[in-house]
Amino acid sequence: MSQENRPARPSGRPPESGFARLSRTESGLRGPFLCFFASAVLWLVVASVLALVAAVKLHRPDFLGACELTTYGRVTAAARDTFVYGWGFNALFAVNFWLMAQLGRFEFRNGWLATLGGATWNLALTYGVVQIIRGELGGFALLDLPREVGPVLLLAFLLSALWSVVAYARRPGGQNFVSQWYIVGATFALPLVYLLAQLMVLWFPTVGTVQALAHAWFVQNLLFLWFGASALAAAYYFVPKILGRALGHYYLAPVGFWTLFLFAGLGAPAALLGAPIPIWLQSVGVVASVLGLVPVVVLAINFLSTLSVDGGWSRSWNSTTLRFVVVGIVSFLLFGLLTAVCSTRDLSATLAFTSFAEGQVQLLTYGAATMILFGASYFILPRLTGSLWPSSKLVHVHFWSAFLGLLIAVGAALVGGWQAGQQLATPAVSAAQVAAQSAPWALAGSLAALLLLIGHVAFALNAFGMILSSTTPTSDGRSD
Amino acid sequence: MKNLNLLLAGVFFCVAAVWTGLLVTAQVQLGSLGRAPAEEGGPLFPAREPGLAIQGRAVYLDLGCVACHTQQVRPAGQGSDIARGYGVRPSVARDYVLQPQVLLGQRRVGPDLANYGARAKSDAELAAFLAAPAAGVSHPPYAFLTAERSAALVAYLKSLRQDYSSPEAKLKQ
Repeated sequence: MSQENRPARPSGRPPESGFARLSRTESGLRGPFLCFFASAVLWLVVASVLALVAAVKLHRPDFLGACELTTYGRVTAAARDTFVYGWGFNALFAVNFWLMAQLGRFEFRNGWLATLGGATWNLALTYGVVQIIRGELGGFALLDLPREVGPVLLLAFLLSALWSVVAYARRPGGQNFVSQWYIVGATFALPLVYLLAQLMVLWFPTVGTVQALAHAWFVQNLLFLWFGASALAAAYYFVPKILGRALGHYYLAPVGFWTLFLFAGLGAPAALLGAPIPIWLQSVGVVASVLGLVPVVVLAINFLSTLSVDGGWSRSWNSTTLRFVVVGIVSFLLFGLLTAVCSTRDLSATLAFTSFAEGQVQLLTYGAATMILFGASYFILPRLTGSLWPSSKLVHVHFWSAFLGLLIAVGAALVGGWQAGQQLATPAVSAAQVAAQSAPWALAGSLAALLLLIGHVAFALNAFGMILSSTTPTSDGRSD
Repeated sequence: MKNLNLLLAGVFFCVAAVWTGLLVTAQVQLGSLGRAPAEEGGPLFPAREPGLAIQGRAVYLDLGCVACHTQQVRPAGQGSDIARGYGVRPSVARDYVLQPQVLLGQRRVGPDLANYGARAKSDAELAAFLAAPAAGVSHPPYAFLTAERSAALVAYLKSLRQDYSSPEAKLKQ
């Protein structure tokens, strides 16, 4: 391809941006969307600061060590919860909303209910995070918010997210697309799982290690069926939409959908290999985790066959939205592959309790879900605000900081975890020696956290600049 | 798959089937476990935590110690926990039946604590370590702990023991 013919590098002003007027479906969405999105970006910056502090404390335990409010356990729990419940949920509420309205031609008329749900969600989460920093945290990751917060979050979720199901039910003409199934499935499954996990772990704790199993089941569902499924919904929408071609081997998509929903939760016991739970449950977890390759293969066929023809990869690289989305898709496929391979007993025995599992989770929550959410934001926000992204440089800073931060964070966690696992398997190597040799990887984790913070601040500046310069477009009845 | 009810029913089936298959059956199998003697007429294990240790458990949770320490000894062949001296036998489900929150943990930045009480230093040494770990030790200083909270945390850590025989895991004589 000659220099003249080469498509322009992303300027930070995606070609799809800059619509001055909104369709009817979008005009009703604007308020709730911006409410969720602004909250999400604020939480993302808070989570990034906390994650940086936690990353530094991992190799400098005495950093901020004089203050009880900033113990590693509290800061890391607060960082995790603000990222997952603050950034992840708010952003997914917003993007799922927009996708369902677009795909179902849904005119959203009760925005105040969703906004009320969003406000409730964010107030409850703020209370919960403050309580964690004050020391009121539980022992189960992602269920460590004070238990009184749980019912409020559940109610707020129903107010905020169930509109997606309503949009699907009221779609005219029975339009039907795989993105809609994933969003409806995620929106319906998560409250059920959250309710059952809250009851079994926090409100009426089951006896002994059944709690740990219930917790593992909750985390597995949260990761796969909320983050994973919602991110895939967006990927299924944006790839064919921006490339302007039908999804390859679309007939396989239902197989991917149903196998993901069936095997995701069933693989939970694989996270507890060697733990004091029945062996048969552990074996079920391993088998289900390996069967989890089925949806991964389907997704790979769908996306790679769409991207691999007619210069799809290079066109993706030159679209700001697709650049993020494709990084997200590749991350999801890697995550699925790693989950299946590392659930085998031998590998699990070596890698358990190291940073390897955190690297895997980061590959899904950041590499897949967050990158796809970033890509979606670059597509949706200009349409809803009627403005262009204020700075193309900040878009570049955002992408490269996020991408390099992701590579370093996941690479350090996986390679450092692998190395620590090999050393821990050798009894002659003391725990102190393992910790000392893990220090460079922890340092790399701090560098990654710093890069991610820089990228997120750039994204926040650009996004809030755009929202504040918004022309407050109104509907002229355009229907797309 | 155009029918909403069918879609919701399918998703509900997936969630409910897995919940029943994993959690309900686990509850049926493990839910009735209680304290038991290793042999008929012997003492009941696990032992109840002393009152100070119960307060110490709250301190352990408050500080977020579970972020860096596990409390589970895996069987031989599934990691080197026993060879490393973390325990004398694998942890079994019965070891946890008295714990209001089971703190198995997910990451070992520091050593496993399931059987820490059996290898712990003296109370004074442990309290001094928590307040000011020796140079080069990868543990944060908790100098801010009051004497009462420190004593409670020490009592909790020393109450963590899995060095008794249970019906499922007998100690080798």
